Amino acid sequence: MRLGFFLSEALGSMRRNWVMAMAAVITVFISTAILGAVLVTRDNLNQGATSLKNRVLIEVFIKDEATDAEKAALEQKIRSIPEIKSFEYISKDEALERFRKRFGERIVQNLPINPLPASYEIQVKDANQVDMVARKFFDDPAVDNDPGTHNGVKYARETVRKMLSTINLIGIGMWVATGVFALAAVLLISTTVRLSIFARRREVEIMRLVGATNWFIRWPFVLEGFITGLIGAVIAAGFVWLANWALANWLKSSDIDFLNVRIFSMCWQSGSWPAGLMPTLAVLGAVLGALGSMVALRRYLKT
Amino acid sequence: MIVFEDVTKVYDPDVVGLQNFTCHIGKGEFVFLVGASGSGKSTLIKLVLKEIVPDSGRILVAGRNLGTLRHSKVPLLRRNIGCVFQDFKLLPNKTVYDNVAYALEVVGEPRRSIRRKVPEILNLVGLTEKTNSYPHEISGGEQQRVSVARAFVNHPPLLLADEPTGNIDPETAVGIMQLLVRINRTGTTVVVATHDRDMVNRMRRRVLQLDAGRLVRDERRGGYDQVADVEAEGVLT
Repeated sequence: MRLGFFLSEALGSMRRNWVMAMAAVITVFISTAILGAVLVTRDNLNQGATSLKNRVLIEVFIKDEATDAEKAALEQKIRSIPEIKSFEYISKDEALERFRKRFGERIVQNLPINPLPASYEIQVKDANQVDMVARKFFDDPAVDNDPGTHNGVKYARETVRKMLSTINLIGIGMWVATGVFALAAVLLISTTVRLSIFARRREVEIMRLVGATNWFIRWPFVLEGFITGLIGAVIAAGFVWLANWALANWLKSSDIDFLNVRIFSMCWQSGSWPAGLMPTLAVLGAVLGALGSMVALRRYLKT
Repeated sequence: MIVFEDVTKVYDPDVVGLQNFTCHIGKGEFVFLVGASGSGKSTLIKLVLKEIVPDSGRILVAGRNLGTLRHSKVPLLRRNIGCVFQDFKLLPNKTVYDNVAYALEVVGEPRRSIRRKVPEILNLVGLTEKTNSYPHEISGGEQQRVSVARAFVNHPPLLLADEPTGNIDPETAVGIMQLLVRINRTGTTVVVATHDRDMVNRMRRRVLQLDAGRLVRDERRGGYDQVADVEAEGVLT
């Protein structure tokens, strides 16, 4: 194969038909940028969802009057539950220290005794199991549980349930969006390529008359599609990366604290970037461009 | 070189291209195809190139049966046939040099030999000075010479010309025809479809006359019209 000849044919034709080449590059850019944005958003939402799930804590408060034996039995019980990922013991002093940090020195100074109970902070492996695990501590003798007046076992039961269903819904929505935009990208790119080849169908006809084989005619077009797709997709990947970075930075530094924005920023603060998105987009663009050229040429290469 | 055996080609809907056409064109011949528009001249040329396929009958080109020639081999067939068209069919965004070179690139000719052959053939057709011009920068006659150069640069055994002088003024046309004759002298079979009465009458070559897809005359040293008419013309002048 005469790669040099084909490459110079492809580049030459892109230079001559630069308006068409630009249009194709922009098309690829827009469609892959949208696709990339959807993928990045999905990744960040997933990240956010995971971190939200991990934040679901069960707090088990211990009675001040519980005996050492009861306390030991409670810890033994926590250790024995397989659904629990980790737990942390917060002593009365630590609880007070946290309280001081949060509400200030002055309030703490005025307290005659330390009213805060010791507690365990428990994380479960799967947010779906929070309810089931929490119930195991309701009747524990060491736990300060007095139905009707106060709960010794605290966990965000309703919140967890709603959160889980929302996250699932968003996940499905994102898959659908990915599919729709991927399809739109394919259609847009193939239409653009078809247009640009239609404009040059006479050229193809002449090549055939001179005795060029189909592949001889095809190669420059395929290379052109490949280069066009690659350029558009690489610009798109860079653009999405920059937007992602800027958004994450902005959310980190800003003080916005409305309810919705906070959840949003929690999702985005890490500026999560799907592994391999950059090469995936680039390859996708290049392959789409090349395939688009081949498909569009088919009609002119019959016989 | 070219054999047509009882070839019929009918286009949709019921337009006759060729009807029971039989003829034999030998190696090294120079043949004129004459006839009114729509008489089947272009159909014949397209059939030889296998751009279209006949409804019935058999066509042999350089000993190859086109009916059994595989699709993938069609480009190989065309490389052995030089083509010149009324509308030149030059690649508009390639220079004169690159247009001629393309025919050589297609057959996989080495770079070095392309660089040797293209100037040679451009010299033959007298276009050395236009080497780096684009088709739209040169005259119709010059464009046609480029197209002749492209058709002949491979030294194909067969050269087809479809109204090669149709878009060119008479004086330039003579030059083109002389080129075709010179090419014919190298042993290449030349088939020229034309309307150019004067040219045919002057050259006295074999003439195939078509009418509504049928061969109505095959004369060894013919004129554009029937013998009687030519003689009558001779008497008048």
